[in-house]
Amino acid sequence: MPADPELKAKVEELIAENPVLLFMKGTPDAPRCGFSMRVVQVLQALDVQYGAIDVLPALQPLREVTTELSDWQTFPQLYVKGELVGGCDIIEEMLDSGELAELLGVEPPEAEVPEAERILPGGSQTSPPMQLG
Amino acid sequence: MADLAELKEMIEAALPGADVEVVDEGGGDHLRAIVSSERFEGLSRIDQHRLVRAAVKDRFEDGSIHALSVQTSTP
Repeated sequence: MPADPELKAKVEELIAENPVLLFMKGTPDAPRCGFSMRVVQVLQALDVQYGAIDVLPALQPLREVTTELSDWQTFPQLYVKGELVGGCDIIEEMLDSGELAELLGVEPPEAEVPEAERILPGGSQTSPPMQLG
Repeated sequence: MADLAELKEMIEAALPGADVEVVDEGGGDHLRAIVSSERFEGLSRIDQHRLVRAAVKDRFEDGSIHALSVQTSTP
């Protein structure tokens, strides 16, 4: 199914405006998926500023958009300087190898990224940091 | 339920000469593909993963795979 052109334009705009942008399930404070949570932890470990979009309210339409834009269907997706870098697997590999810190222009973290200690309860969800029109 | 041997063949067909291993990480539809290929030389990780995913796209579309972790390397 072709993507909604309006949503696609909005997503392209967000990717262009945010040097580091994460499409995730849930929010950084309340991730709703273990893979999204792991990418949030990586970004926190690197202490980088990033924008985050909660894809859950529009999962299927956003999947159609990212399929067209980046040939990628699953979330999370991390975009850096307008390009899709990867999902959880790639981001963790690139953290371990130091490539991610280099790409983001930050110092690699001294300590290991802490293992997930708990999954946040899925109850109340704060509003996402950015709204899709 | 995915056919691991078929998936391995699909990836090998798309990336001739590649060293491919496909393992079940649970339930028969959460899989991991470990692929080493010369074709990956010079490609970003996301492009390497795209090649692997494209090879098994039909099995995503028919629902026999739900999740595929990909690990790529060059020989």
